[in-house]
Amino acid sequence: MSVVDHNAIELPRISEAEVGDYIALLKPRVMSLVIFTALVGLVIAPGHFHPVLAFTSLLCIAVGAGASGALNMALEGDIDALMTRTANRPIPRGRVTRPEAMAFGMTLAFFSVMTLGILVNWYAGALLAFTIFFYVVIYTMWLKRWTAQNIVIGGAAGSLPPVVAWVAATGSLSVEPLLLFLIIFCWTPPHFWALALFRSDDYARAGVPMLPVVAGPDATRLQILLYTIVLVAVAAAPWPLGYFDAIYGVTSLVLGAGMLACAVDVYRRRERAGSLRATRKMFAFSILYLFALFATLLLEEVAHAVAARIG
Amino acid sequence: MSDQREPEGIVLTEAQKRSRRQRSIAIALALGVLVLLFFAVTIVKGPAVLNRPL
Repeated sequence: MSVVDHNAIELPRISEAEVGDYIALLKPRVMSLVIFTALVGLVIAPGHFHPVLAFTSLLCIAVGAGASGALNMALEGDIDALMTRTANRPIPRGRVTRPEAMAFGMTLAFFSVMTLGILVNWYAGALLAFTIFFYVVIYTMWLKRWTAQNIVIGGAAGSLPPVVAWVAATGSLSVEPLLLFLIIFCWTPPHFWALALFRSDDYARAGVPMLPVVAGPDATRLQILLYTIVLVAVAAAPWPLGYFDAIYGVTSLVLGAGMLACAVDVYRRRERAGSLRATRKMFAFSILYLFALFATLLLEEVAHAVAARIG
Repeated sequence: MSDQREPEGIVLTEAQKRSRRQRSIAIALALGVLVLLFFAVTIVKGPAVLNRPL
């Protein structure tokens, strides 16, 4: 017989979390867009970059993004539990505890930054560290619960992956990656506010001061329209400025017309059913927009490389 | 008196054992990938592996 009464002491919780729960902490869908935009940053960078180093850079950027996602979930477990969209995440479901997610995120952040620094270059490593810091500390811990401009300023973190990739490939900074940064930066507000419009009840319940909760849906619709106009102009600007060519320019204008049409639709449709349809369409199209815009740059670069080989 | 004693301390359930094993394999794979990555980059860079900007 044991002297200690096992019922009287609290036993440590033994995790039943599976690998899939930890993969969910990485926000795989966000990660896929990060990988894609970083890939474009790598491909359009000048000079030869060894494929092994390119793969290493992409892997580190992807893991760094995953680390940010895990740290974000560790810090937002309370909010996530209150929102329909996020209630199924591993922490609200009780699969992973917040300290476990925090340890997982910190470990991945450390390894991704150090590996990129040691194997590729320290400028890229430092920029990746700054990106993670910006997303976790500036956006998640500070801005998100404090201001309706949270996703505008916080959008900088999501805009940095192509810049990190460019710096990894070249060891320096140039105008082209900053243009990619600007495009994603201007794209983020209309994309997230479209989501916030049809999820505003969720955000209100969780006490997150998203624009539709704080300023109302009409002000948000106007902001979406204004930011979309800026986005279309910013996305097309590299063409007349001579950084990207006419194929990119025309594609950006065609896609921009689609974005503008969605934004005008969101602005005009105020009745419940129509508004819901318009905002959902805007949210979905904005993902397609960014993907297609960056895919154009990627395909052009691949076409140039093939043409150079054949020629 | 029987030799069979009740195990002391924490006894893991089957689900806990299974998930722990799964996690251990994933960690081992991740470490393996990291080792391979460092090996591959060392081969690619050759002696220049020590020349890093900054």
